Amino acid sequence: MFSWQTQPLTGLNFIGMVIGAVVVLAILLLVVMYLIFFLRKVVAWMQNRIGPNRVGPWGLFQSMADVLKLLLKEDIVPAKADRALFLVAPIIAFVPAFTVLAVIPYTAGHIFTAGLNIGVLFYIALSSITILGIVLGGWASNNKYSLVGGLRSAAQMISYEIPLGMSVLGVVMLAGSLNLTTIVQQQATDRFGWYIIPQIIGFVVFMIAAVAELNQTPFDLPEAESELVAGYFTEYTGFRFAFYMLTEFVYLFAISALATTLFLGGWLGPWLPSWLWFAIKTSAVIFFMFWLRATMPRLRVDKLMGFAWKVLIPVALFNILLTGLLSLLV
Amino acid sequence: MMLFGFPITGETVAFFMLALIIITSGVFLMTLRNVMHMALALGGVFLGVAGIFVILGADFVGVVQVMIYAGAITILMVFSLMLTHSGNKAEEGPEVGAVRGIATFVGVAIVVGAILLVIRHTSWPVSPTAMQPYHQSTVLLIADALFHTYTIQFELVSAILTTALVGAVIIARKEEQ
Repeated sequence: MFSWQTQPLTGLNFIGMVIGAVVVLAILLLVVMYLIFFLRKVVAWMQNRIGPNRVGPWGLFQSMADVLKLLLKEDIVPAKADRALFLVAPIIAFVPAFTVLAVIPYTAGHIFTAGLNIGVLFYIALSSITILGIVLGGWASNNKYSLVGGLRSAAQMISYEIPLGMSVLGVVMLAGSLNLTTIVQQQATDRFGWYIIPQIIGFVVFMIAAVAELNQTPFDLPEAESELVAGYFTEYTGFRFAFYMLTEFVYLFAISALATTLFLGGWLGPWLPSWLWFAIKTSAVIFFMFWLRATMPRLRVDKLMGFAWKVLIPVALFNILLTGLLSLLV
Repeated sequence: MMLFGFPITGETVAFFMLALIIITSGVFLMTLRNVMHMALALGGVFLGVAGIFVILGADFVGVVQVMIYAGAITILMVFSLMLTHSGNKAEEGPEVGAVRGIATFVGVAIVVGAILLVIRHTSWPVSPTAMQPYHQSTVLLIADALFHTYTIQFELVSAILTTALVGAVIIARKEEQ
């Protein structure tokens, strides 16, 4: 029932797929809820504060309370907004965020996600549709702050998508496959070990581009609080606001999982079960992202685009060239 | 099980659902009066076509279609619309009269009938690998074609595209001054 990668599509396998998707969604919602808690605790620790500690033991129920609050809030649509687009935009943003999780291999044994031959490309292609949801949400709100936030995010995310894709190419060249499961298996037998070592330039470019794709500090210009209120989701309330927040944190999880798979050997590791290794590595990447978030100041708008086009893309191209040369020579 | 001469498999069901998405989005694209909504409908068409590619076994082309068309081009369109005008109130054309409406309908019907007739009377070559498209990696096939069989043509096309790109930038710069 859960081994549809090797069997033809039957009714039973289809039910298995639906169950698998629901399970992943439920786990994901729990993970995201505690990611927010983790973020607040980590940032508070780095800034010498305590962070949430009132609701439940150690403040563990704080996120749950926040989610409940968001769900119970009134869903306000501004009178001058483009109603249809305003309602649909958060969904367009969220659906791809969840869909990309289908290709990530979480464990060695029960790989009940999709073993797509073009997994890497699938991730990058689908994540670009989220930008559409963000831009349309910003436009439909009919608010200057939202519009500027939407424009900024469109420009930023389209620009940083290119170095993100290019930095992955080095890994693809070494592994000889776009299939994420194969990439993990290749890292077990590669003579340099996990791809973070031979692909260190690619890894650095990937992490910078990933942070920019997530609209996180130091690249959080689309939602810069001090100048744009909340950027593209200024006008959103309640459930729809939660959708945008959810999208952001699901992508945080997804891109950390992708970084783990591509550069850190995925579920490979001694002694512990494979899913635990995957969880540990992904958590480490997520912690690194939060660390950046608590440390770095925001980039200036005019520096942002120049950095993507004049620094990241040439470096990523150089990395591809170097990888090709080395694989010919060594 | 057969319906109108089609065997009902998962593939045909998926095909008809995708066709429904494409046609609905296309109709929306023609009838909506707001440029932003039209851009979104166009995105729907692109996504549906990507699905058709995947059904045909061309998964690489399908995903590239999502990345370039549904992703980049739709966003570029939305982006330029946001910069230029608020998107509301596309210009209304003059009201179409009854005679012209009927003439258009008849014309479209004739064209569709002719295309259907031609499609039904053509004998299509059936590829031996068509039945199991998922067992071959299309990425490898495409790479082999591009970088082994047609290397020179590929390089020429990329040179032309680069030239066109640089040319577009130069033309845009001249207007700026």
